[in-house]
Amino acid sequence: MEVLEKIFNLALIAATLRTTAPILLVSLGGSFTTKAGIFNIGLEGQMLVGAFFAVLGSIWTGSALGGLAIGVSASVVMAAVFSLLVVTLRANEVVVGLALNILAGGLTISLTKAIFGTRGSIVSGDIVGLPPIDIPMIDYLGRIGRVLSGYTPLVYFAFIMVFVVWLILYRTKLGLYIRVTGEKPEAAEALGIPTARMQHIASLICGVLAGLAGAHLSLGYITMFAENMSSGRGFMAVAVLIFSNGDPLKVLLGCLLFGFSDAASLRLQTFGFSSYLVLMVPYLVTLFVLFALTYRQRPRVIRETLESLSLMRRAGQNGA
Amino acid sequence: MTYAIEMQGVTKRFGPLTANSNVAFSVGTGEIHALVGENGAGKTTLMNVLFGLHQPDEGTIRINGETVVMDSPRTAIARGLGMVHQHFKLVPSLTVAENIFLGMEITRNGLIDHKAQSAKVRELSEAFGLHVDPDRRVSELSVGIEQRVEILKVLARGASIVILDEPTAVLTPQESRDLFRILRGFTQKGMTVVFISHHLSEVMEVSDMVTVLRDGKVVGTKATKALSEDELVRMMVGRDVNFARRARRRSEGSPVLTLREICARDDRGLPTLRDISFEVRSGEIVGIVGVDGNGQTELAEVISGLRRPSFGEIVLAGQSVQAADPLTIREAGLAHVPGDRLRRGVDASASIASNILMGRQHKAPFAARGLIRWPYVREQAGKLIRQFDIRASGHKAVVKTLSGGNMQKVVLAREFSQQTPFLLVDQPTRGVDIGAMEGIHDEIMRQRASGAAILLISVQLDEILTLADRILVMFAGRIAGELDPEKTTEDEIGFLMAGRAAAEAKAAS
Amino acid sequence: MTTSADETRAKTRGLAAARLPAWTEGLLGQLLAIGLSLAGGAVIILLIGENPLHVFGTLLRGAFGSSERIAGSLLQATPIIICGVAACIALRGGLFNIGVEGQLYVGGFAAAWVGFSFSLPPVIHLLVAMAAAVVAGGLWVLIPAFFRARYGTNEVVSTILGNYVAVLFTSYLTISVFKRPGGWSETDPIAITARLPQLVEYSRLNAGLFIGIVLAVGLQLFLKHTGAGYSMSAMGSNLKFAEYGGVRIRRNIFLILMVSGAVGGLAGGVETLGVHHRFMEGFAPGFGFDGVIAALLANGSPIGMIGTALFFGALRAGSLLMEVETNASREIITVIQAFIILCVSAQILVRRRTGQRGERRWRF
Repeated sequence: MEVLEKIFNLALIAATLRTTAPILLVSLGGSFTTKAGIFNIGLEGQMLVGAFFAVLGSIWTGSALGGLAIGVSASVVMAAVFSLLVVTLRANEVVVGLALNILAGGLTISLTKAIFGTRGSIVSGDIVGLPPIDIPMIDYLGRIGRVLSGYTPLVYFAFIMVFVVWLILYRTKLGLYIRVTGEKPEAAEALGIPTARMQHIASLICGVLAGLAGAHLSLGYITMFAENMSSGRGFMAVAVLIFSNGDPLKVLLGCLLFGFSDAASLRLQTFGFSSYLVLMVPYLVTLFVLFALTYRQRPRVIRETLESLSLMRRAGQNGA
Repeated sequence: MTYAIEMQGVTKRFGPLTANSNVAFSVGTGEIHALVGENGAGKTTLMNVLFGLHQPDEGTIRINGETVVMDSPRTAIARGLGMVHQHFKLVPSLTVAENIFLGMEITRNGLIDHKAQSAKVRELSEAFGLHVDPDRRVSELSVGIEQRVEILKVLARGASIVILDEPTAVLTPQESRDLFRILRGFTQKGMTVVFISHHLSEVMEVSDMVTVLRDGKVVGTKATKALSEDELVRMMVGRDVNFARRARRRSEGSPVLTLREICARDDRGLPTLRDISFEVRSGEIVGIVGVDGNGQTELAEVISGLRRPSFGEIVLAGQSVQAADPLTIREAGLAHVPGDRLRRGVDASASIASNILMGRQHKAPFAARGLIRWPYVREQAGKLIRQFDIRASGHKAVVKTLSGGNMQKVVLAREFSQQTPFLLVDQPTRGVDIGAMEGIHDEIMRQRASGAAILLISVQLDEILTLADRILVMFAGRIAGELDPEKTTEDEIGFLMAGRAAAEAKAAS
Repeated sequence: MTTSADETRAKTRGLAAARLPAWTEGLLGQLLAIGLSLAGGAVIILLIGENPLHVFGTLLRGAFGSSERIAGSLLQATPIIICGVAACIALRGGLFNIGVEGQLYVGGFAAAWVGFSFSLPPVIHLLVAMAAAVVAGGLWVLIPAFFRARYGTNEVVSTILGNYVAVLFTSYLTISVFKRPGGWSETDPIAITARLPQLVEYSRLNAGLFIGIVLAVGLQLFLKHTGAGYSMSAMGSNLKFAEYGGVRIRRNIFLILMVSGAVGGLAGGVETLGVHHRFMEGFAPGFGFDGVIAALLANGSPIGMIGTALFFGALRAGSLLMEVETNASREIITVIQAFIILCVSAQILVRRRTGQRGERRWRF
């Protein structure tokens, strides 16, 4: 019990909010593509490119904001290539997404070596990270208050975005058109809604959010870039999107679960569990939820009973 | 008299096919005008030309006296036209109001003003007596209400000329009656209605004027009052209807397929087959006829094992198969010509030989010890190409390069050459030209002569009347009645297809 | 006017089609894609301040410069071919197994474990070790395969996530359970009795190459000449048609993914038993993905896949020298590979737009 208490404390909540932020951002980006009817397996690569170029931009411009801008631009370029191939050229989304992920891995490592002459990671004092925000007066709220203060801006941004994305998807024309494009493109086209353009827009918005997620990885709490540092979070996001169908609130729930399992596993490490086993936890949780929810969503086989059959017969006779 | 629509000399060709030939079609303002004709007579094409979905090769269109080039549906809508398609284009997860205002949303501060939209819809709906709740999701609505939403969509865009394509095809009789009441309301408000139909009774019931199309040409335009149903039938079909084209016989054979109390649900879990019982004997053709979407597709799926029935029993050649998969059912004695040829019936990217092999890839003499005997397969393919008169360069020809008729013959060749006791033939001549159609009909008759039990499903009434020994009419997932093709009339079938009881149909005809 | 222009174009296209056999069209497309991708790679190399000609020259020399280097290329190609077979199996059945990488890791570990934990007679030991690899690979994909077949759970995501688990899990076993005393994140060596025979003196090139080629050729024959193979490719080209024709879809989806996973496991076994003779953390990075790409580029054709896999093997071997002699990192070849896929996927469309539908089974 003592162990449990040590794991489940306010620090854990804080850690959960921190680890949730990047996967939440990238998943919310994926909400747009999912709603537009695109299966976007390329989130991982967009995030990785975002993380790399954010570090690069931060060094070049000497400011975190500059890093953010350049990281986001890079992942938007990836998103543009993705939607050009998938939407305009009608290429297979799995193949293109996979290729872009591989491209992102190779490109970031190659450029790391070319620019910094190192393999594996970029660690430098020149990287300007995102400053944490202290909410003024929050101390008056006591311990709870402190849990809500002191995060980098992207953490707040991620949670605010849940509401913003919901608002865009369900209360604006753009969101409506994106949803109709994904759900019933022939209805959209019959009313003159340009479905291809909607898919491009969704993909580019997704690129922006994936880029921010990447920037959070490399400029948020640790200011460095490591090869493949997105480590499957983009794929976890895809899993979240599959079972949430891109609804922002369900996305938030799914991401909190993964953020929590991430944070909890990191704490488990301090109790002497092998770091390898502990690192497996978020992936296993994702897989478990993916399988459990598809099991629940399976089509039910409905058996008619004799009574309902005779009821139907009677109704049929009356109706005729 | 002023005309809302005047179409003159309209000709529309699709490749070698002429869908409309020098058509003149005029509709007076404030009238309900029925456009009738058999399947493929060119009704829908004409309306698509009017609505700017197709560009005519020749001819002019005038709306309210002004000549208009209908280059797109936008132009048509701007001119006050509105079209309610046969297949609804509604988004299930959206509300009624959202669907109606899709593409022309009312916004406030950049956000969609749902309240204002609902209010507008409510107002419009009450004004025309449509009684639709604007805040319901479309996925919860019945087909009849969905149609009203489509009509509201048209009204909200300011239409004064409403075109409806086969509006009653998917409706129950009660819903049809309500629809007619609504349409009458439109004309009282000075609007004009055109509706496409091939149901004679409803044409007689609701329309002021009738234009009959046959083979893409106008046969005539007459006031409905001046016409009898018989005259209308003659105009449509072009001959006195004569069903007794061949000798029928009640089969004395033993039942090959028996369905008892079969119920099934569609993909959404809604009942789609209700208590279906019938049998098919060897040496007879049982024809299933009905308006598209009354459960025929699901019936074929249930019999072939592609859909599990939720209740009931199916016996095929003495074997209980209601819970069996397609392979088991095929082994028990089914050959199946599917309704959706391109999606189910063939592997379009493979050769004829490869398509012929499907279903027999494990069986002697096509295979031995798990290995396919390709020389034998090719030889058989060549033989079937000759026997079924498939126009192709040879067994290597890729199926998607063939015409629709020849593609269908590949399917027939594969299925009919299996010598099974039971044949399930679904829409055998859909999209097939006349020449190939006769060949296909002859082949079905040959199978009957050799003792096969055949279940023929078709939306083409003509086809059923030509081929079937017995006719079962399906309506709303039920067998609405059984008819003897030698004694029945087209009207009687029509009534049953529209969901009236057998006795009532008899009395009415 | 436009009609006559169209006719002329149609005629020239007809002429071109008449002069060249159909298969050359595909080959030309592939070569074009590779050419474009090398150009893309050259741009990246220029960006990082190197001379593309020098870099590509070094790449070529590293791949083919001597018989040792040619053997090195074949050595690199071996696991790619076997992983490619695994991917081809899934692709031809209309499925994606992106988890080959993970199956490779668990298969490699299982084979190594049998290799260093038991002492058995020579040939038998090797066979048991390989069987362990096969079983491990199959088991690894068991749950995704079951859920895909039964409930339609997306296999792309479930197999990808499995990769991360596999890598971490084998690392855990290697470091926390079976670490060689004094060694650096590796297990005890595999007994001589369980090692795959070497083919040449001067390289670790081993009999695994033949296993790969035999599997690929076997798959090709299976698909073309057996009833089961016919059913499987029918699923890949039109699932509804296969279902209607009596192919047991669910059972086959399960079996196809299981066999695909088993072959992926075997690839790992071959790598540990033939090359490293132990299991090391991160022993075969990216071979699984290379196999998937090779299979995609060959459009699922096993024989064509051997070609692309050999090409990728040469790229990998060459990149080792390239990294030593130039400032370019070896991952530049990954970039080139990704470019190739993107080019190929875009180029299919060009053909589709002109109305000549390709004979491809998948929409690239």
